[in-house]
Amino acid sequence: MSGTASSRMARWAFAVFVGLCLAYLLLPSLIIVPMSFSSQSYLSFPPAGFSLRWYQGLAGNSAWRDAAANSFLIGVPAAFIAVALGTLSALATERGGLRWATAGVALIVAPMMLPHVILAIGLYPVMLDLGLLHGYIGAIIGHAVIGLPLVFVSVSAALRNYNPALELAAMTCGADRVRSFLHVTLPMIRIGILGGGILAFATSFDELMLSLFLTNTGTRTLPRLIWEQLNDFLTPTIAAVATLIFAFSLLLLAALAVFGRSARGMPTSLALATAETAAHG
Amino acid sequence: MADPRTLEILPERGEARAPASGASLSLEAVEKKYGGLVALARTDLDVRPGEFFGLIGPSGSGKSTLLGMIAGFVPPSGGRILLNGTDIVSLPPYRRNLGMVFQNYALFPHMTVAENIAFPLRMRKLQRGEVETRVRRMLEIVRLAGLGERSPAQLSGGQQQRVALARAASYDPSLLLMDEPLGALDKNLREEMQYEIKRFHREIGATVLYVTHDQDEAATMSDRIAILNQGRIVQVGRPRELYEAPATSFVASFLGEANLFEVAAVSQSSPPRLRVETKDGLTLSANQLAHFEAGAVICVRPEAIQIAKSAGAAANVLSGRVLDVVYTAGSLRYRVEVAGGRVVLVRRPLQRQAAVMEVGSPVYLSWDVSDTILVPNS
Repeated sequence: MSGTASSRMARWAFAVFVGLCLAYLLLPSLIIVPMSFSSQSYLSFPPAGFSLRWYQGLAGNSAWRDAAANSFLIGVPAAFIAVALGTLSALATERGGLRWATAGVALIVAPMMLPHVILAIGLYPVMLDLGLLHGYIGAIIGHAVIGLPLVFVSVSAALRNYNPALELAAMTCGADRVRSFLHVTLPMIRIGILGGGILAFATSFDELMLSLFLTNTGTRTLPRLIWEQLNDFLTPTIAAVATLIFAFSLLLLAALAVFGRSARGMPTSLALATAETAAHG
Repeated sequence: MADPRTLEILPERGEARAPASGASLSLEAVEKKYGGLVALARTDLDVRPGEFFGLIGPSGSGKSTLLGMIAGFVPPSGGRILLNGTDIVSLPPYRRNLGMVFQNYALFPHMTVAENIAFPLRMRKLQRGEVETRVRRMLEIVRLAGLGERSPAQLSGGQQQRVALARAASYDPSLLLMDEPLGALDKNLREEMQYEIKRFHREIGATVLYVTHDQDEAATMSDRIAILNQGRIVQVGRPRELYEAPATSFVASFLGEANLFEVAAVSQSSPPRLRVETKDGLTLSANQLAHFEAGAVICVRPEAIQIAKSAGAAANVLSGRVLDVVYTAGSLRYRVEVAGGRVVLVRRPLQRQAAVMEVGSPVYLSWDVSDTILVPNS
């Protein structure tokens, strides 16, 4: 009897501990939400009063609208490039039987480990030379570089997760390489590709350092505008923007979880873990 | 008046499709090297049309390499692979028109059972109605009618294997390759599936090349067997031939159990009878069947040896002492120490109330001269 009681105690203690951990992870991000509904004209916590005027102000402000549009104009193409190249490189290193596959993996994953500021400093003179500085294309190229390893890792995991004999089976069934890829490989790794693409987009959406170096006031993204505004005004507008970004990120995570669950045998937890690392890394 | 049993059987036969004729398969000087490493030494092999042909050997003996080269996954370093007389070496796997069954079934998990079976037909751009008819027929042949809409994950291991058979054969390939298809199943199911595959083979009529590391399975199922060891085929023959006349000591010990005695000297006592001195210091009698000399090996099967309390009149008699006796399903296995410390394995079928020799008791082992198998020097 006492054993059951003490085990129940232990379970409660554990639940409390887990709750504290989650609070520690999430509260700093969540604090921004009530601040955005403040009726005061400066950032404060706890917020005084309630108003939606910062959201109304956002809707009427073309600078925020343009920045949001820029974030998509850069993030979506960057994610597509990352998906195309990341998937191909994952296929090459997992299935190509390459001699230097391990070295290749290290090189492809490197942009994930390197500080973005180094990449930004390196890209700056190159883009300047190419005449791509401050344009969309330069920023898209930069963001594709940091998105590629995320797609690569996600697709590699998906490829490792199923039996390569399936491709051989497709070929003995009469499918050539293209049809074997379309009918067998692609459906198997679809979730990995989708998850990697969402991660690549989310990372671009969140990225500040490259945007500081590679964009200007015409092509600046949301994170860059937030950063600029923080220097000049500390109004709850920023909290409102942050809240919207927060909600959007949750939506992306939810999409990942839903796709992950619908796939048979895909490790959802793994995809989510990667998403977390990317979001906070 | 016709035999009523024949009448019962005939309509069934009529319903089954006429067995497609199996292809002949010939390997001519096929070899595979990885750098300096020889995975398969120059090999010649002929598989007859419609034959159920077993390929067995320990792991690393080259059997998977051989199968991979026929399927088209592994390019040979040299030689020709002839399917019905046409060299297929330069063809990619998807042009070879073979069926293949994989060890872990390799069913497409994102397709239903019916879609799996239809896949090769769709790749061949058959009309939809034709695809449906064939899928239904294949499901009937493998006794899975009504399960077409299930996903493979919802089926048992044995059922999945039957789907794999149906998929491999749905387009009437003239050669079916099977790579340890029963390796993932437990023992009882494996035996059941052996019969299932044999029945399937009879109905389909294709030539089957069956790779396994299980010698009993190969012996049960195959018309003929090739035994591989260390990258080469050591013997080809019917299971019984391999068992009763092994070409090397490896074959003798790989297929079934064997007591092997190394030969020290041979003398012709009364032709065709030989007296053979073994390296353990034993003297045995054998029949002269082929050219035979010192350095060769004698093989005596454990079940050919009689065990008794008194010496009989057989050509070979050894006295010894029972080291231990083990009861296995249906038989007793003795280990008997004879002169010179040599241990001989004996297996006797267990009859009801048969006398069991006790451990430590003195016994006589005897066997007929025809059970002394001479294995040439390999």
